[in-house]
Amino acid sequence: MDFSWILDILQRYVFNIANLQGMLRLATPVVLAGLCALITSRAGILNIAGEGMILFGAWFGVAGSYFFRSAWMGLLAAMLSGLVVGGLFALFSLKFRAHIIIMGIAINIFANSATIFLTREVFGVAGAFSDPNIAGLPPIEIPILKDIPVLGPLLSGYTFIVYLAWILVALTYVFLYRTPWGLHLRAVGENPQAAETLGINVQRVRFGAVMASGVFASLAGVYLSLGHLQMFTEQMAAGRGFIGMAVNTFGGGEPVGVFLSSLLFGIVETIGWRLQGERIMPVYFISMLPYLATLAALTIFTLRKQQAKKAALERAAREA
Amino acid sequence: MTTAVEMLGIRKVFPGVVANDNVNLSVEEGEIHALIGENGAGKSTLMNVLFGLHHPEAGVIKIRGKEVHIRKNADAIALGIGMVHQKFKLVPSFTVAENITLGSEPRHRGIFLDRKAVHDNVMEISRRFGLQISPDARIQDLPVGVQQRVEILKALYRQADILILDEPTAVLTPKETRDLFGVIRSLVANGKTVIFITHKLREVMEISDRVTAMRDGKVVGVTKTTETNPTQLARMMVGRDVLLRVTKTEAQPKDVVLQIRDLHVFDDRNLKAVQGVSFDVRAGEILGIAGVEGNGQRELVEAIVGLRPAWNGEIQVKAQNLTTLNIRQRREVGVSCVPEDRYVRGVALPASIEDNLIVNNYFKPPIAQGPLLKPDVIARHAQELIETFDVRTPSKDVPAYALSGGNLQKVVLARELSAQPDLFIAAQPTRGLDIGSIEFVHRRIVEARDRGAAVLLVSAELEEIMSLSDRIVVLYEGKIMGAIEGARATEEGLGLWMAGITSEGSPEAAGH
Ligand SMILES: Nc1ncnc2c1ncn2[C@@H]1O[C@H](COP(=O)(O)OP(=O)(O)O)[C@@H](O)[C@H]1O
Ligand SMILES: [Mg+2]
Repeated sequence: MDFSWILDILQRYVFNIANLQGMLRLATPVVLAGLCALITSRAGILNIAGEGMILFGAWFGVAGSYFFRSAWMGLLAAMLSGLVVGGLFALFSLKFRAHIIIMGIAINIFANSATIFLTREVFGVAGAFSDPNIAGLPPIEIPILKDIPVLGPLLSGYTFIVYLAWILVALTYVFLYRTPWGLHLRAVGENPQAAETLGINVQRVRFGAVMASGVFASLAGVYLSLGHLQMFTEQMAAGRGFIGMAVNTFGGGEPVGVFLSSLLFGIVETIGWRLQGERIMPVYFISMLPYLATLAALTIFTLRKQQAKKAALERAAREA
Repeated sequence: MTTAVEMLGIRKVFPGVVANDNVNLSVEEGEIHALIGENGAGKSTLMNVLFGLHHPEAGVIKIRGKEVHIRKNADAIALGIGMVHQKFKLVPSFTVAENITLGSEPRHRGIFLDRKAVHDNVMEISRRFGLQISPDARIQDLPVGVQQRVEILKALYRQADILILDEPTAVLTPKETRDLFGVIRSLVANGKTVIFITHKLREVMEISDRVTAMRDGKVVGVTKTTETNPTQLARMMVGRDVLLRVTKTEAQPKDVVLQIRDLHVFDDRNLKAVQGVSFDVRAGEILGIAGVEGNGQRELVEAIVGLRPAWNGEIQVKAQNLTTLNIRQRREVGVSCVPEDRYVRGVALPASIEDNLIVNNYFKPPIAQGPLLKPDVIARHAQELIETFDVRTPSKDVPAYALSGGNLQKVVLARELSAQPDLFIAAQPTRGLDIGSIEFVHRRIVEARDRGAAVLLVSAELEEIMSLSDRIVVLYEGKIMGAIEGARATEEGLGLWMAGITSEGSPEAAGH
């Protein structure tokens, strides 16, 4: 049998520079959404509002960029929106003790309607808003690296936020495991009472985590609206807030795990785009792929965990 | 001598209970002060007030003679007060050193954890007070006694010189208890003051200098330990003379009802909790399972009733294999159980007494007819059980959470015993109950036996085990350390087995 066709397909659809670039690009908002989920889940908060926070980030990114003619102002506006929405979420769910799921749903629905409303009122258009005056984030060419074959095109030339996402993964790791505040955050997530009796202000730590999650999510949002095409589309978060929760689970609540599982999501989405061009499957089916892949990955993950548990039991049984 | 702690006129009210009612407590510097009282007397509440976790409605606190306002936990810590809670407050995935330094970690360049200093500081403090510890072990891998030591070190690290220990011996083996007493003595020798909460009178006599006794939220006596005795203390705690032995006739054991062979069960952390246990319980006898909590009792019971899979081994009731049956099927075979955590598994707290009384038979006649419940039958059923089991409740319709612990336990007993079980399992059946309820529960357990049920009694209270059981087995680390007839067991002998010490020779030898 001749298997070269498999290699051929692999190379054509998966392992070529263009696809890997696509993977890194498409993974970026997912990485950020994953960090949004991670920072809250490690503090013991179930934050499902990532979706809405992303949407606000996307809208304010475009608005800031449009009104100030500067992508950086867009970025700033988005991050501010993240802080405000995160702050509101924290205020209501932590201080006023609104039910955290209901609060999350409320923020998501509110973000959806508010951005639609604002697009119509402020920009006078429905559906999508694009304008030459919206400044996009420029690509960053990394000196020296950009001239190295393969690595150059693979790692250089993305917009600022792609690199920021990578840096944030590393920073989150350092924060969690190398700083006192990271230790406090993990303690609060694992045993809030223990943290409290040691004089750690549980409420304040959680507040901080939610605010940070707002910033992470808003960055994911700006990337969607300013990273490639400079445009805001209604409902453009497209479930990434929830995918972020999935990659956080899949990545075991670890920054590096979140990064790697986001890459998995990114490659599947890239393949989806390629297949759309080929017209071999219905487009709607193809756009379903990343979500199916997420579902499959989570299922496999859970099964693997169960198997590992069973194996551990068997081992223990043999030893005993 | 100066007074380390003075609490005056402390009042603390929870919805429906006055937990502390005009309580005065005075603790001298450098003494070991025992705070005793039955469960629910208000001891923990008083200490939580001192530690800044509860805010009293009234009262004054003086530390070293100066009036202080403890608004939050951090205030108490700053005043040099440390507390080891009944339920440890440790982060399981963190190391010993991380747990000890959490909240006041040494830093490196201002923003980073100085992990070497974390380690060294913990070693230093552990050496200074002679408390052995390995700083890099993870809490989740450590035995309870060591976890407790970590809690004590946590307080010492924060420079506590007034140390509150809330029922520290409840989770310890006799050996660990002795070690703890050693630690307490060395702390006092180092100038610390210790408040020691317990309801075990022997420990009070052994370790304390003075005693404050509480009952129903009030202080009912303060005395020097040398000027009192256990009988007097018991009378103070309970408010009347205490009859600890239950009256029962000789057991008339008949056929084997429960047969367990080579049973292995895992706990929630996937560790072997029950390791190759075998025993029988016959109709008409009470088999007591003694042991310090956490030695596999919970997992054993859960495996029998079907809440937890048996890894391997045999569980038979009336010669029928239970392991393949689900929980309801096991109950239909004739198994009833009073679970150890009555608030979680014993009752549905928000549901009414009436509903709680039918959760084991709502699906069959006479309670149900086809898919429909029969309200009049259910009401009568509830009324009857409330009367026969003397449940003190305003009505059958109040939610379970409105009842006191003792009355709640009567509801559970009523439900489980009204099923006329062949195998009746009672796990820690009197934990947290007042003396009156304890006597009631004990009588019912003996009655179940006399009716012909096989009774499996699991309890960490040696007195309970000894006064009720016809036969006793001791579980230690998931294995049976020994078995002995109830009448021949001695507290010392069982205590040795509970500590994992076997002696050669006959079972009685362990007791002498
Ligand atoms: N957080 C709380 N909420 C409501 N009631 C409580 C709370 N803590 C304790 N109680 C009640 O206060 C009383 C005293 O409890 P506690 O101080 O724990 O007693 P002890 O430590 O002496 O066993 C009990 O009736 C208990 O049910
Ligand atoms: Mg208590």
